[in-house]
Amino acid sequence: MLNITNLHAEIEGKKIIKGLDLEVKPGEVHAIMGPNGSGKSTLASVLAGNEDFDVTDGSITFQGKDLLELGPDERSHLGLFLAFQYPVEIPGVSNINFLKAAINERREARGEEPITAKEFLQMVKDKASLVELDNKLTNRSVNEGFSGGEKKRNEIFQMAMLEPTLGILDETDSGLDIDALKIVANGVNTLRSKERSFIVVTHYQRLLDYIVPDFVHVLFDGKIVKSGDKSLALELEEKGYDWIKNEREKVSA
Amino acid sequence: MEIVESKNTLAPFSELAKSYSQINEVNASSLIKKLGDFRFPTRRDEYWKYTPTRAVEKTNWQFSSDLPEELNLPASLGNGPRLVFINGNYSEKFSSQEGLPKLSSAEGSSVDELSSPFNPLADLNQLLPQKTYKLHLMKNEVVDQVVSIVHIFQGENIISQPYMEVVLEEGASLKLNEYHVHRGSSTFSNSFSRYQVGRNAELGLDLIQEGKGESFLHNQTIVNQDKDSRFTQNTFTLSGNWVRNNTIVNINGKNSEANLNGIYIPSEKEHVDNHTIIDHKVAHCESNELYRGVMMDKSTGVFNGKVFVRQDAQKTNAFQSNGNVLLSDFATINSKPELEIYADDVKCSHGSTTGQMDDEALFYLMSRGISERNSRILLVNAFAEDVLAEMVNDNLRGYVEKAIKEKLSGVSNGE
Repeated sequence: MLNITNLHAEIEGKKIIKGLDLEVKPGEVHAIMGPNGSGKSTLASVLAGNEDFDVTDGSITFQGKDLLELGPDERSHLGLFLAFQYPVEIPGVSNINFLKAAINERREARGEEPITAKEFLQMVKDKASLVELDNKLTNRSVNEGFSGGEKKRNEIFQMAMLEPTLGILDETDSGLDIDALKIVANGVNTLRSKERSFIVVTHYQRLLDYIVPDFVHVLFDGKIVKSGDKSLALELEEKGYDWIKNEREKVSA
Repeated sequence: MEIVESKNTLAPFSELAKSYSQINEVNASSLIKKLGDFRFPTRRDEYWKYTPTRAVEKTNWQFSSDLPEELNLPASLGNGPRLVFINGNYSEKFSSQEGLPKLSSAEGSSVDELSSPFNPLADLNQLLPQKTYKLHLMKNEVVDQVVSIVHIFQGENIISQPYMEVVLEEGASLKLNEYHVHRGSSTFSNSFSRYQVGRNAELGLDLIQEGKGESFLHNQTIVNQDKDSRFTQNTFTLSGNWVRNNTIVNINGKNSEANLNGIYIPSEKEHVDNHTIIDHKVAHCESNELYRGVMMDKSTGVFNGKVFVRQDAQKTNAFQSNGNVLLSDFATINSKPELEIYADDVKCSHGSTTGQMDDEALFYLMSRGISERNSRILLVNAFAEDVLAEMVNDNLRGYVEKAIKEKLSGVSNGE
């Protein structure tokens, strides 16, 4: 489904990702962990098509297409979704209207009929209950005046509405209390299926107690330096990121 | 003392006066004499610093009395009472006076109130007036239907100088749609409207301006408000090669409210200038101003909002805000809010912001599958929403939104 080969990316001339390889197959959940500044969020941004980052080398294919050739909107149409670490507040743009526009643009791109009002409203009702998002919030301007937890739940709500084949969660757990974390994780788990994959970017192991990954990768200095199953996350939690750092230093020494 | 370069202004005016005299059957030579002292403003005049008038000045404008066969007005104007003017001439055929308050001819009025800002174009309107009209609402007369005043400007090198007076006596209430559209190859509309809002009267007005071709649009609005009155003017400048709006509101009676709002969305080399003056002369009044500009391509814009709070105008609440978003690196906006306060117990604020479109928001919307073009439209509409929400008459809201959308689409196609 997703194939990243030798990816190099930088922002304003500063190299962040330095030769990253990753393959994600349908139905898999991959956790990407790593210390601050290791390039986790950059990877998420590059996948979604944020133009602030320049890809200088390597390739990304998604659903058989060259992802780097596509704009953020086209990537979304192909089934990619990024849950933002810092969801943007957009005053004056209603959550509901923009989601309807998004769904219909995707349907148009796929040669499908626009969604009916009835279908859409039912969908909003179902998906909002998935993350216990208040009706009032779904009707408000995008993220405007939302609490931190509400913003993250809104991201998962949008993901549920857009039904992606690959969901990327960029530190969705950061700043969440344990109750909100459970709600968010529960929403994600409900969306798990044989066809749908996830990349879960996180700094903390805690989230992975609730969203249990198939693979855990440790990102350090722009590269994946260690991969394993969920036990790797626990080991990391126990030994800390210094463990990775020290190991790397030993290797280079 | 200022030394002003002397110019030969007689040549264009002799033609203009001749054209005017033919249609209005007045003596051309006496008109030329009347126009003798007239000169166009230049950018050395503070009031005209950012709006050049050379292109207006150098055209040989003519008056016209031709009437078209068809109008092709936006359907959303509705079928309510309507006054239609073509190149400043009233057209009975296209108008519908049913349900309309009394309409009478008005005498061109004195220009003394204009003495403070230097505005020769308003003077020109008064020097060569076309037939003038007056809408007069009697005491407590309430017009339920929205009244449309439609001005169509067309032809080549055609000048129009409409003058309109709207008088609301005590307790009267009126909602107006003013639709000014330039359709010709080169047209100059030099309009003048005067609104008298009596005690406890209410006047709401949406002004929609469109200009195709080489259009020049100068619109002078003067408002006088009595005690307990309310006045709202929303100006939507959807297009126009050269647009200058001057609105002057004199708040003469206590406990009154004035609202001036506007949206302008110039593209290519269009120029839009909004000058407003709100003069708080008495106590316990409120004024609100909200102008938002979306600047595209190589367009230029001006906002100059002046608020006077005179010594007697205690307990005044005056708020003014001008926001601009630049969608191009080549667009320019000159924004100048001015407050002159002589009273000591007032609440006044003004603010001006100019920025680019929020890239983060754009990326966020696009990442959800919305195209760049539609994302931009969503964001601009959100920016315009605060002004659109102030519209007096909802029936033209869809029309304005669509025009904004189409204009923005043009920009994306050009990229």
